[in-house]
Amino acid sequence: MTSPDLIHELTATRPVAPTALRARVREITTQDAAPKASFWPQLRLPMRRFALVAVPAAATLAIASAGVLGVARSDDNVAALRNDFYAQESSEKLLPQATAPQPNVGAADQSSGSAVAPTLDRAQRISATLTVEVPDSDGVSRAAQKALDLTESLGGHVVSANVATGDQGSAALVVRVPVAKVQEAIVQLSALGRIVSQQVTIDDLQENLDRLQRRERSVRAQIALVVANLENESLDATTRAQLESRLRTLRQELRGLRRDTAATNAEARMATIQLSVVTPGVLGAVPVPSRLDRTLDEALNVLVWEGVIALAIAIVAAPFALLLFATWLGRKLYRRREEDRLLAT
Amino acid sequence: MSLEVSRPAAPAEPTFAAVAEDHLDDVYGYLLYMTKNWALAEDLTSETFEAALRHWRRFDPRRGTHRAWLLAIARSTALDWFRADARRRRREERAEAGELGRERDLAFGEGFSPELEEGLRALTAGEREVVALRVVLDLDGDETARLLGITVTAVSTRLHRALAKLEERMRHHDVA
Repeated sequence: MTSPDLIHELTATRPVAPTALRARVREITTQDAAPKASFWPQLRLPMRRFALVAVPAAATLAIASAGVLGVARSDDNVAALRNDFYAQESSEKLLPQATAPQPNVGAADQSSGSAVAPTLDRAQRISATLTVEVPDSDGVSRAAQKALDLTESLGGHVVSANVATGDQGSAALVVRVPVAKVQEAIVQLSALGRIVSQQVTIDDLQENLDRLQRRERSVRAQIALVVANLENESLDATTRAQLESRLRTLRQELRGLRRDTAATNAEARMATIQLSVVTPGVLGAVPVPSRLDRTLDEALNVLVWEGVIALAIAIVAAPFALLLFATWLGRKLYRRREEDRLLAT
Repeated sequence: MSLEVSRPAAPAEPTFAAVAEDHLDDVYGYLLYMTKNWALAEDLTSETFEAALRHWRRFDPRRGTHRAWLLAIARSTALDWFRADARRRRREERAEAGELGRERDLAFGEGFSPELEEGLRALTAGEREVVALRVVLDLDGDETARLLGITVTAVSTRLHRALAKLEERMRHHDVA
């Protein structure tokens, strides 16, 4: 017998259910097709369908909770930032009290930057530190050039200048401007960009200057006295030598006093301004993030923590899951082999 | 002026009774090939439909046809019986009454030629199963592979081997 014949015979002799069996099955099918449904079978879902629902649901829940927490915590951060700001402002207000009688100007008090008013009838050392932020590296170059031009126009000079361009450009300038123009200088330099920080320190030099002048008058008087004594022709040689030595010492001291007075006056005539020009992200310029940024940051933090917790759970559960999987696989293989053995008979 | 648009009627879901009526011969034929015994095949067919009725609400048409679903239940029922039979035989062998259990192997069924019946008896249950599914019930390779839990290639190999063995046995019978 050939294969086609065999197949033909097999299909031709296709078994047909006997009438008795057909009747028995009909009897079965007339029974209630809706068996007493228990609670759990109705909830049973195929694993793949369950995963299709559960995984996006879990992800949505995680993201939603991160968003809610992010919004809530960004509000807390607003309060914290506000507290930090006031703390910073009050500490800045305390600083000049220790160094100078004049109040300095903090970053938050930008509008009063022009309120710095040096007392012109007293000698004072005025120094200002100013940080402004410009949008990009080109802005740094432009701001630095404007600062140099401004210094020159105000009758000042540049002590040092360091300009770096690139992705995160920055410039550090130290300039000296006449004290009479320092107020104008600060106002105009502040206008070069967004003020990140500003501090003005005023130290009083008048007391030191008065002391130098008093000492100078005293030395001059002593010199005059020594000179008068030396004009006496009856002096012996030893006394004359002592007076001449004393005169040399006094004249030397007078030169030193004149030098110190001139230096103090020079310091009091010119104010020193340290200007930093930065781009966003450069160290020293920490922009206050917007509400959206803070929310996103907080949400990201929450998501990271959720991920960490999920990872920890996965690490703890992994051995058990592996054991369950191995058991399931072993059982499946055992049943497959058992089936093969049963069907081999 | 209004237009009434009639929606095409959705195909009515067949009742369990209709499905059972349509595929009763398939299930019975499959179990007959598996067990080589018409009486046992009838019993297992009844069990299969009882089990199918219990699980009727869980049938998902996206996962396969009614026929494949019923055949899967039939296969599970047959394997359960084989397991129980193997345990019973082991008990009987221990009690030195091993031949009692073979009484049910005597009658294959009606309509088979003696040589075909003998050839089929010479096959293993697994070989008869694949012949029943692929040749008698005309399931395609994919459906058979899914039902048996093996690859399509394995189905082809098993079928080829079974038919060759059956052909050989029948040729041997003709010569004799």
